[in-house]
Amino acid sequence: MTAATLTPGRATTSVARPGQRRARRRRLIVIYAMLAPAVLGLGVFFVYPLIASLYYSFTSYNLLSDPVWVGLRNYQYLFTEDPNVATAALNTLWFVVIMVPIKLAFAFAVAGLLARARRSNGIWRTLYYLPALVPPVASVVAFVFLFNPGTGPVNLILGWLGVHPGPLWFNDPNLAKPSLLILAVWVMGDVMIIFLAGLLDVPRELYEASSLDGANGFHKIIYVTLPAMVPVLVFSLVTGVIAALQYFTEASVASATASGEATVGGGGALVAGYPDQSLLTYTQWLYERGFEDFQLGYASALAVLLFIVASIFLFFLLRKVRAFMPEEATA
Amino acid sequence: MKSNSHVGRLGRLRRQLFGAAALATAATIALSGCSTGGNTTIDKTAPTKLSGTVSLWHFFTDREAKVIQSVVNNFEKLHPGVHVIVHSGQDDTKLQQAISAGNNVDVGISYSTDIVGAFCSSGAFRDLTPYIKRDHVNVSDLTPVTKSYTEYKGKRCAMPALSDDYALYYNTNLLTAAGITSPPKTLSELESDALKLTTYNPDGSIKTLGFDPVMGFYENAAAHYAPATGAQWLNSKDKSVISSDPGWTELIKWQTAFVQKIGYAKLKAFDAAAGQEFSAANAFQKGKLAMNMDGEWRTAFIADQAPKLQYGTAPFPTADDHTDLYGGGYITGNIAGIAKGSKNPELAWALLKYTTTNTAAVVKMANGLKNVPHLTSALQSSSLEVDSQYKTFIDVAGNANSLTTPASPVGAGYQTTFEQWWEKYQETGTGSIAAGLKTVDQQIDASEALAAQ
Amino acid sequence: MSTAIRLAQPTAPRRRRRAARPLNWIAEHIVLVTLAVLFIAPVIFVFLTSVMTNDQTLTPSLWPQPWTWSNYLDAFRTVPLLQWFGNSAFYAVSSTVLMLLSSIPAAYVLARIRFRGATLIFVAIIVTMLLPPQVTAVPVYVMWSKLGLTGSLLPLILPNALGDAFSIFLLRQFFLTIPKEYSDAARIDGNGELGVLWRVIIPMAKPGIAATAIFMFFSSWNDYYGPLLYTSENPQWWPVAYGLATFRGTHGTNWGLTMAITMLVIVPVVIIFFFAQRVFVEGITLTGVKG
Repeated sequence: MTAATLTPGRATTSVARPGQRRARRRRLIVIYAMLAPAVLGLGVFFVYPLIASLYYSFTSYNLLSDPVWVGLRNYQYLFTEDPNVATAALNTLWFVVIMVPIKLAFAFAVAGLLARARRSNGIWRTLYYLPALVPPVASVVAFVFLFNPGTGPVNLILGWLGVHPGPLWFNDPNLAKPSLLILAVWVMGDVMIIFLAGLLDVPRELYEASSLDGANGFHKIIYVTLPAMVPVLVFSLVTGVIAALQYFTEASVASATASGEATVGGGGALVAGYPDQSLLTYTQWLYERGFEDFQLGYASALAVLLFIVASIFLFFLLRKVRAFMPEEATA
Repeated sequence: MKSNSHVGRLGRLRRQLFGAAALATAATIALSGCSTGGNTTIDKTAPTKLSGTVSLWHFFTDREAKVIQSVVNNFEKLHPGVHVIVHSGQDDTKLQQAISAGNNVDVGISYSTDIVGAFCSSGAFRDLTPYIKRDHVNVSDLTPVTKSYTEYKGKRCAMPALSDDYALYYNTNLLTAAGITSPPKTLSELESDALKLTTYNPDGSIKTLGFDPVMGFYENAAAHYAPATGAQWLNSKDKSVISSDPGWTELIKWQTAFVQKIGYAKLKAFDAAAGQEFSAANAFQKGKLAMNMDGEWRTAFIADQAPKLQYGTAPFPTADDHTDLYGGGYITGNIAGIAKGSKNPELAWALLKYTTTNTAAVVKMANGLKNVPHLTSALQSSSLEVDSQYKTFIDVAGNANSLTTPASPVGAGYQTTFEQWWEKYQETGTGSIAAGLKTVDQQIDASEALAAQ
Repeated sequence: MSTAIRLAQPTAPRRRRRAARPLNWIAEHIVLVTLAVLFIAPVIFVFLTSVMTNDQTLTPSLWPQPWTWSNYLDAFRTVPLLQWFGNSAFYAVSSTVLMLLSSIPAAYVLARIRFRGATLIFVAIIVTMLLPPQVTAVPVYVMWSKLGLTGSLLPLILPNALGDAFSIFLLRQFFLTIPKEYSDAARIDGNGELGVLWRVIIPMAKPGIAATAIFMFFSSWNDYYGPLLYTSENPQWWPVAYGLATFRGTHGTNWGLTMAITMLVIVPVVIIFFFAQRVFVEGITLTGVKG
C-alpha cells in the first residue's frame, strides 16, 4: 500500500521536457495529497487495529494496566467455557439466515406490485419507504410499545379478534426474534427502492418477446425478471448479510426497553439479550465483554473470530458483485 | 461545542500533573498498595488548606441527586477554595468506562458492592489504607457488614456510602380488604396470601397481583431472596457452591411452583404493563401490587410520589424450615472510592472522608435518601429521622441473619450467570435443577478464572 | 444514471390497456392499500400514545382521553432534548463535512487515475466498508482513550477527516459514470487534477455527492452504537438517538412522554426527506443498481 509506487499511467508513456517534468512532478504531488488522508485512514483505522486486535486476543487487558500475555487462554475460554457465545452466534445466524431473506423477499414482492402499478407508483413508493426513514432507535422503542402484551395496541386488537391471552412478543424468548423480523420488514423501504429501480430497468422488450412465445406471468418472473435482477439481488443480499452480522442496535434497544429494568440496579448483563439471551447477538456479547466487563483481551478474541467468519462470508459473496471489482477504474 | 478541546486538554494536563506529582512525592513513603495501580505514594500529613476542583461521579438522579448536591454544598462551604463538579446518573458500567478510559473521575459512588472485587483487583479504585492510617480514621465506626463488603482480600479500596437492605412492603388497605391481619412470615404464607389477594379481569388477565414471584421483576433477584434460606454463593476459594447449597434448590422449587400456579405468561403480561420501577407508576405505589420486596429507599419514593398510600413494612418471610432466620434480609449498599486516574487524590480523599465518615453528613444523606446509615454513630444519632416503616430496615441492618453478596473478580458476574439460568428455568419449571446448577457452578468458576488471570 | 432519471419521472408509455383487466387492477390495489395501512399504522399509534396521559398508557386503549399535548412540552423539560438535537446535528454535520473534504479527492483519484497500488487500496476500502466495525473496536477504543478523547463524540467525528470507506466507494461509483472525455478536455485546457475535479467532476456529480452526504448525515444522526461506546458516561455529549434509548430507563418515566420524544425524533428526518426526496431515491437506487 506504499504510496511511493504511485505513477500516473499516462505520465510514463513519453519522455518529457524539463517543463513538462516539473508539471508532472507537481501533478504527482497533488495526487499524493488527494489520496493521502484516505490511505492514512486505512492504516490507522483498519490495518493497525486488525493487527492490534490479534495481539490483544492473546492477552489479558483491562486498560488500567498493561496487557499481559496469556497465550491461547482467551480462545480456550471462547470455545470451551463461555456460556453465552454459542447462543450469541446462533442468534446472529438467525438474523443472517432467516431475517435477511424474508426481508428481501418481502421487499421484492412489494417492488413487483409497484412496478405493475406504474402510473401511481410515486405515492405508494413514498408511503412504503417512509418507515425506513425512522431512526432505528425510535422504531424499536415504538415497536416494543406497540407490541407490549399488557398495554400495546397490537394485543388489544388481537383481543378484539378473540385472541386471549395475546402473545408476549418482545417478552417471549421464542417470539422476540420474530418480533424484530416484523420490524425489519416494516423498514424494508430502501431495499424496495433498489428493487423497484432494477425492475423498471428490465427492458420491456424482453417481456413482450416472452409474451409472444406464450409465457405466462410466472414464467416471465422466472425467465425474464430474475435473471435480469441477479446483480441487484446479490448486492442487496451481500449488504443485508453484512448488516445482519453486526446486528446490534435493534436487538440491544429492544432488550433494554422490553425488560423495563433499564440500568438502575439490574446491571447491563442481565438486560443484554432479554428475554433469556434470545436477542443476545454476537456483537452485543463482544460489547458486553469488552466495554462493560472491560475484558478487552477476551473481547479481542471474539473480534478475531468475527473477522474470520465475516471474511468467509465476504469471500464467497464478494466475487459475485461487479461493483466491488477494481477493474472498473478508468484512466 | 467548546468542550472538545477542553476534554483533550484535560487529558494531557492530567498526565502532566500526575507525572509532576509522582516526582515531587517520590522521596516520601512508598506503599506497595495496588498491584496494578502503580506506586501509591502520599504526603506524610494531610494538607492543611485545600483548593482546586474535584469531580464526584454518582448514579443518583432527580430528587436523590438533589440530596447528594446538598451534602456537596456543605463540603464546599467547609473548604471555600474547593469546587466539586458533580456527574449524576452514572451507573456502574459508565463509571468503569470512565475510570478505565482515564476520564476525569476523582470520587466515584456506585450502587453495588459487587464491583468492589473487580475495581480493587483491577486497580480502578485506589487503596485507601495509607490515607486512613495517616488521618487516623476510625474504621470501627463502620457497621460490620458494610465494613466487610468494602474490602477485597484485605485491601480497603472503597468506603461504604450508606447501605441498603431489603424487606417486604405490603398495602394495608388491600390486605385488610382480603381479611389478612398481619404480614406473612413464611414463604408459604406469602404465597397463600398472594393468591388470595390476586384478582383478574374478565379476559383472564391479572388486575391486581398479590405478590409477583417472577425472577427479574423489579427487585426480584437471587441475592435478595438468599436470606430466606441462608443460601451461600462462593466458598473461601471463590468457587461457586450454588449447586451444593440446599437453600437455593429450596428457593427455586418454591418460586417456580408459585409462578406456575398463576401462569408464567399472565405474570409476564402483568410485568410488561406495570409501570417502571423507579417511576411514579411503580405497581406497588399504584396499588396494583399488594406486596412487594423492595429496598428502604422506597419509603422516600412513596413519601414523594404516593403520599396517600397506606402501607407497612416487615422483614421478608423466610422458608418454612428456616423460621429462625426471620428478621434478616439482604444488605448491600453504595460504595465510594478514589479513581486510579484522579489528578488530585488529596482533594478526592477529603471529599470521600467527609461524605462517608462525617456523622452529620451521613445522617443528612440518610434522612434525604432514606437509606440506612453505615456508621454506628449515625445510627445512634438523635438527628436520624426514623418512622415505623423505615424502622424495619434499621432493624434488618442490625440483624445477625442478614446476608450480603461476596466480592469477586467478576463483580456481580456470578449472580448474573445464576439468574440467567433461573429466569429461564422459571418459564416451565421442568428439567433437573441439580444438573442446571452444576452447569452454573462450572460457568461461574470458568469466568472467575478468566477474569483473575 | 438512466435509472434514476426514469424513476424521478415515471412516465414510460404504457402499452397494455389496463381496462382489459379490471379485476387484476382491483386486486392489486386492495393489496396496496392494505399494506399502506399496515405501514402507516405504527406511526399513527405512536402519535396517539404521545398525546395520552401517563395513566392511560398503562391501560390498553387506542384513543387518547383526554388529549394531553403537554407531553410534548414535558419532553423538553424532562430531558435536555435541545442539547441532544444539537449534539446530533454537530455529529452529523461535522462528520459529513470532514467526509466530503477527505473522500471526494480520494474517490476521484481511484476513479480516474491508474497507478500501482490502486487495486490494493480499493480492495482495502471495500473490506473496511464491509467488515463489522466491532472487529476493530477494541484497539480503536484503546487509541482514543489514550488520547483522552473518550467521553465525547470526537472519536466518531474525527476519523472522517481521514476518509470514510463507504463514502469513497459510493463517490467513486458516481464519478465513474461521468464520461472521461469531459475530464480529458479539461486537462487539455490546462487544468491540473484539482482543476479537473473542481471544474468538471464535482459540478457533474452533484447529485451523487449530495446522496453520499445524505447517507453520511443520516448514518451519524441515527448512530446508536458509536455514542453508546464513546459517550455513554458523558450526558453532555449524548445525541438524540442515544438519549432516546436511555430515556425510559434512567428517567423512570412514562410511555406517553417516551412516544412524544419518539415523534420528535422522527419528524425532522421526515421533513428533510421531503425536501431532498429526489436525491434520496437516486442515491439509494444508484448504490444498489450500479452493483
